[in-house]
Amino acid sequence: MRLQRSVTFRPLETRGRRVIGAILVTFALVSALSITLSLRAIGRSRHQAAVVQVAARQRTLAERYVNEVLLAHGGRRADPATTARLLAQSADVLLDGGEAPAVNGDDDETTLPPTSGETARLQLQQARRLVHDLTAAGSAYLGHRPVASVPLTAHERITATDPVQRLRILAAVTSNVSLDAARTIATRADRNVGRVVTIQIVLGVAGLFASLLLSLGLIAVTRRQTAHFRSLITSSTDLVLVFGREGCRYVSESVGKMLGCPPSEMLGSGFERFVAADDLAGLRAATEQGTPSRVLFRLRNRFDEWRNLEANVTDLRGDRQVHGVVLNARDVTERVRLEEELTRQAFHDGLTGLANRALFRDRLDHALAQSARSRDSLAVLLVDLDGFKQVNDSLGHDAGDQLLRDVAGRFAAVTRPGDTLARLGGDEFAVLLEGANEPMAKNIARRLLTSLSAPVEIADRSLRLSASIGIVTGRVGADSDDLIRDADLAMYAAKEAGRGRFEVFRHEMARELGELLGLEHELRQGLELGQFALYYQPLVDLESNAIVGAEALVRWHSPTRGLVLAERFISVTETTGLIMELGAFVLREACRQITAWQAAGTLPEGFVTWVNVSGRQVSAGGLDNLVERELSRARVDPALLGLEVTETAVVMEGAAGDRARRELRSLYELGVHIAVDDFGTGFSSLGHLRQFPVDVLKIDRSFVQGVEHDPKDAAITANLTSLAHALGLVALAEGIESQSQRAAVQELGCDHAQGYLFAHAMTGVELARLLAGDDAGLEAASA
Amino acid sequence: MRRLSRRLRYLSCALLAAALTGLVTVGVGWSRTEAGTRTGKVISVTERDFRIKAPASIPTGRVRLRIRNLGPDTHELIVARLRGRQLPLRADGLTVDEEALEPLHPVVVEGMERGKGTEVSVDLPPGRYELFCNMAGHYLSGMHRTLVVR
Repeated sequence: MRLQRSVTFRPLETRGRRVIGAILVTFALVSALSITLSLRAIGRSRHQAAVVQVAARQRTLAERYVNEVLLAHGGRRADPATTARLLAQSADVLLDGGEAPAVNGDDDETTLPPTSGETARLQLQQARRLVHDLTAAGSAYLGHRPVASVPLTAHERITATDPVQRLRILAAVTSNVSLDAARTIATRADRNVGRVVTIQIVLGVAGLFASLLLSLGLIAVTRRQTAHFRSLITSSTDLVLVFGREGCRYVSESVGKMLGCPPSEMLGSGFERFVAADDLAGLRAATEQGTPSRVLFRLRNRFDEWRNLEANVTDLRGDRQVHGVVLNARDVTERVRLEEELTRQAFHDGLTGLANRALFRDRLDHALAQSARSRDSLAVLLVDLDGFKQVNDSLGHDAGDQLLRDVAGRFAAVTRPGDTLARLGGDEFAVLLEGANEPMAKNIARRLLTSLSAPVEIADRSLRLSASIGIVTGRVGADSDDLIRDADLAMYAAKEAGRGRFEVFRHEMARELGELLGLEHELRQGLELGQFALYYQPLVDLESNAIVGAEALVRWHSPTRGLVLAERFISVTETTGLIMELGAFVLREACRQITAWQAAGTLPEGFVTWVNVSGRQVSAGGLDNLVERELSRARVDPALLGLEVTETAVVMEGAAGDRARRELRSLYELGVHIAVDDFGTGFSSLGHLRQFPVDVLKIDRSFVQGVEHDPKDAAITANLTSLAHALGLVALAEGIESQSQRAAVQELGCDHAQGYLFAHAMTGVELARLLAGDDAGLEAASA
Repeated sequence: MRRLSRRLRYLSCALLAAALTGLVTVGVGWSRTEAGTRTGKVISVTERDFRIKAPASIPTGRVRLRIRNLGPDTHELIVARLRGRQLPLRADGLTVDEEALEPLHPVVVEGMERGKGTEVSVDLPPGRYELFCNMAGHYLSGMHRTLVVR
């Protein structure tokens, strides 16, 4: 069907063809008309020439007739009757057509058409009447009858009476009239020819004019079409190039624009110097042979940018109009870049540029397949940054991102070129070590940990980071899922074991993980069943040895696990959100205890009961309402309660941070004491502290533990203490376990202290008993 | 519809061109007009085979002869002073000897075809004049008329 349509001849399909058709038809019509007219004119002229000849002959015959009559009348031999007959016959034939007789054999018999034209016919009729009168007069003269009495039929009024004179007058008039008729006929023929010539001229001029108009139309149509196509080509962003035997023959303006170079410079072999060397051979093959139908190549423009082009190749070497190979090219640079970027993005982490989880899995699958054949070992390291969430929460995500990039750079610097370093998501990295055994994997893990030892400088802060690393080595039959899961377990074990370290996967770990998963459920149940209780660790004034307060510590009496310390389950409650309920329980219980102590009259002057508040509780909002509600419910003086918050709350950014500080300030103004817990491990600065309502700085046990023998720890403790004093705060040292530590922190200026040296955590009843006793009781408890 | 109108436009252009050319050609013919004076009394002179019709007498002074040939043959009109009864003939005895005519204000209009005519202004002194056609045999066949100018 389509084939049929394509071969159907449609001569009038385009406007140009229609105009050409009109020109041809006009020429044909004009020519046909002209030729017909000419042929007719020629035919008529030929007839009329014969008529003129016969008419002119009448003159001769008339004169001959008179001479013959006179001869015959004089008795000489003559044949006037024959001449009279010839005269009469000729006159008839001239008028009505027919065969004109030959005269004396000096001319041939001629067939004449009837004469047309009114004047000519009238004249010929007159001539016939005169012939009649002449021959009648001749007959009368030869018959010796009176010539003057012969009636005249042509209106002539001859007054001469001499018969010969009369005959001669009649002959003269006859010949004159015949010649006149001949002249009329000839003139008419001339006029006809003149008319034909005029018509021919008119036709010629009209035809010329029409052709001119149509040609102008054709030119207009062609120009419009050419302009149409030119504008299509020039305005198109498509690049059009034509290659012939001599090289590039045509480039569209868009090519010039793209390359920043006039099109004339690209003709011949000029174009090839823009083409990438790798693509030149393929492009040449396409432009010389017209195949393949699609070719990709790169061009470098004047600004040294590489552009990717995709061209359709059309072989028009057989086309008489083109004689070359045409390339219709599109600039696909952006598309190619996008494709490359998408490919990269699909397998790389956008933040750090490392391989992503998908690429890591792919590499691991390949490596596993490879090791199955070669029996080479391989190892997977799963690295999770410790405390990254705190950085993100306190310094914001930008700082977190910067930290991840920094860490990625450090890890990349300590892994081998053949290793695959990937960021699996969040703060979780992974390393694939091909051909590595366990000792080698441990070695790499150590190097990773060491790379984090130098502090990271972010947002004008110096952060100290650590990481927990899980290691698993490849084994026969394991797939990538197994390995990643096992490495994850090992990593978790490393975190459990105290962070900043690595663990190699052991099969027992799977069981331990299962236990942990069951923990949340048990905790929730324990909260409902009242399995949690508060224990109080006294805080001591180093100068007076007096008990100035106590830190409430929550413990869990698990029916299956026994007594569980807070460190074992707090992180679980924080991740699951159970901390909110637990925090509320602790506050309520502490307030209840204060009321009990007050009722028993055991509370010394200025005694403060400190309650730990999780960062999550602070950032969630509503802490002020909760505290006020519990205080008023238990009818407790706010000054008897203290809240220990982590540094996170002090430096938290954004609306949540502002709200948290506002709520804490409102509690502070109410009289509630505020302490910053674990001070020195976070990222709070002097500036933050000045704006923050706080009474006490609790110096972290990690500094206190080394204070007696590590000059660095001693210096930090001294600095923190003087910082607290400079801000008008109380400095409290945590974790005092020996007399030498106590002496050291007292030497460094700490005001209060807390630790096993003084007292373990105890129940409210035990503390009341202690408070009711004297210092000896304390000494006894600490002993 | 649009295509048809465009085709009609081409056709009308061609026709217009042809018409213009024709008009120019005919106009050249029309531009030839007959010259003549417009003063004096009009005297009608009619010729046909073989007689001349004209008034027998006219007053002297300038007159316009409106001559017309009704044919069918071609005729001339010559006006000549008449002395005696007949004009002198040539030796052939068939035509008037024009050389022998009085060369006083002769009027000669030659070769008028059938249906043609002309106007001639003349100022004839009083006398007898002959109007005639001098084609071979025409004078003797009766194509003459005497005109008296008083």
